[in-house]
Amino acid sequence: MGDLLHLGTTLLAEGGAEHGAAHHGANFVGLMVYLVAIIGVVVYLLADAKKGLNNRYFTRWTTQRLEQLYLFVENMAVGIIGAHGRKYIPMVMTLWLLIFFGNLTALFFATSPTADLSFNLGLALIAVFYVQWEGMRANGVGGHFKHFAGPKLSGALMILTPMIFIIELVSEMMKNLSLSLRLYGNIDGGHKAAEAMNELGKSAYVPFGAFLMPLKLMTCVVQALIFTLLFCVYLSLVTHADHGDAHGEAHAH
Amino acid sequence: MSSANNSKGVPYILKLVIGLVLMFGGMYLSVQKPEFMSFQESLEKSGIPLDLGKTVAIIGVFLILTPLLDLFFFKPLQESITNRTTELEGTFTEAENLRSEMTRMKTEYEDRLARTEAEAREQIQSQIKEAQDLKKQLMADAQAKADQLRKEAEVEIANQKKQALTELRVHVATLSLQATEKILQANVDTDRNRKLIDDFLTTVEAKN
Repeated sequence: MGDLLHLGTTLLAEGGAEHGAAHHGANFVGLMVYLVAIIGVVVYLLADAKKGLNNRYFTRWTTQRLEQLYLFVENMAVGIIGAHGRKYIPMVMTLWLLIFFGNLTALFFATSPTADLSFNLGLALIAVFYVQWEGMRANGVGGHFKHFAGPKLSGALMILTPMIFIIELVSEMMKNLSLSLRLYGNIDGGHKAAEAMNELGKSAYVPFGAFLMPLKLMTCVVQALIFTLLFCVYLSLVTHADHGDAHGEAHAH
Repeated sequence: MSSANNSKGVPYILKLVIGLVLMFGGMYLSVQKPEFMSFQESLEKSGIPLDLGKTVAIIGVFLILTPLLDLFFFKPLQESITNRTTELEGTFTEAENLRSEMTRMKTEYEDRLARTEAEAREQIQSQIKEAQDLKKQLMADAQAKADQLRKEAEVEIANQKKQALTELRVHVATLSLQATEKILQANVDTDRNRKLIDDFLTTVEAKN
């Protein structure tokens, strides 16, 4: 019980970090508490939705909404990656649910998992390394790294090949940063903006930050969408050649 | 589809083990903050709040969570959607088959109806023709019978007439003889007188 109280006070303390100091989000235990809560909500919703599954039409509200989300993600995956994109749906759906509910937490609590750079970096590392893994599975290890060297050049232009290779490698590594920083910046930035606006109305007891709620809600959806969309695009870039989908040709390096 | 891919990929038990190792490893890195992680402090001073322990732990959580959610919900949902689509396709195919069957039956019914109508019409025509033939035959029979009756009547009339004339002649002759006997008051040869009267009467008939 004492530990729980300590945890609660720690969370509150983290949420009300002093201005000017870097926002570190919750500590490890706090992050795990948030994460367990989010996973609990997700599993609860999925379990509720599972009750409504049948072979005709779904009448349960949660089943209908999750089916819509599933079909949306499926359309996105198949539209971007191609027909073989269906096999990535569990991965994309899990990312979508974790990020979306993580973002939603940011609307009601002092901090949230997606307002933590470490959490986002974890998701980005999973996404980028999964893309490399799938690239190697699709093209072979040599074929995948050959991809980084760009088009086959001849003569004096061959000197560009190693440069392109290095640039592509750095670019791949930077995807981790871009994915994690974008999410972190948007969600943590939303917190900062709400705090600043609340500070403005403090003397009049008006929570101006609450007016940002619709915008923050939109950010929750958009950021989850962007993260998963980019994940699909990265997968499409490394797997399209193997499957020869006409759609993927447009995304060549 | 996803099950097939999972079966080809890393087994879930291995993902679970790796995930747990990463989770506890991440917890260790985050809580204990070993010496080699000291660069995080300088990063934090630079405004980059990074705790790689959390990052490692999140990777572990994700490794465990993804296949779990897939088994728990995404796969059953996909199966339901696939079954529903299959069932819908089956229903549509069945409806299409029923429609074709109905069209075929309708055509067959119309053909049968047309055939029955033609047969009925033919039968009616045949009956009418038969009736007309019968009518003609009956009329011919009646006409023949009427003709025969008329002829018989004519013959009868002629016979009757002849007989009446004969009787009349005899009667007139008798009356004439009686009258003549009374007038002449004489005994005259009856046979001779009768011959005279017959001659007279023949002369009268010839004149008439």
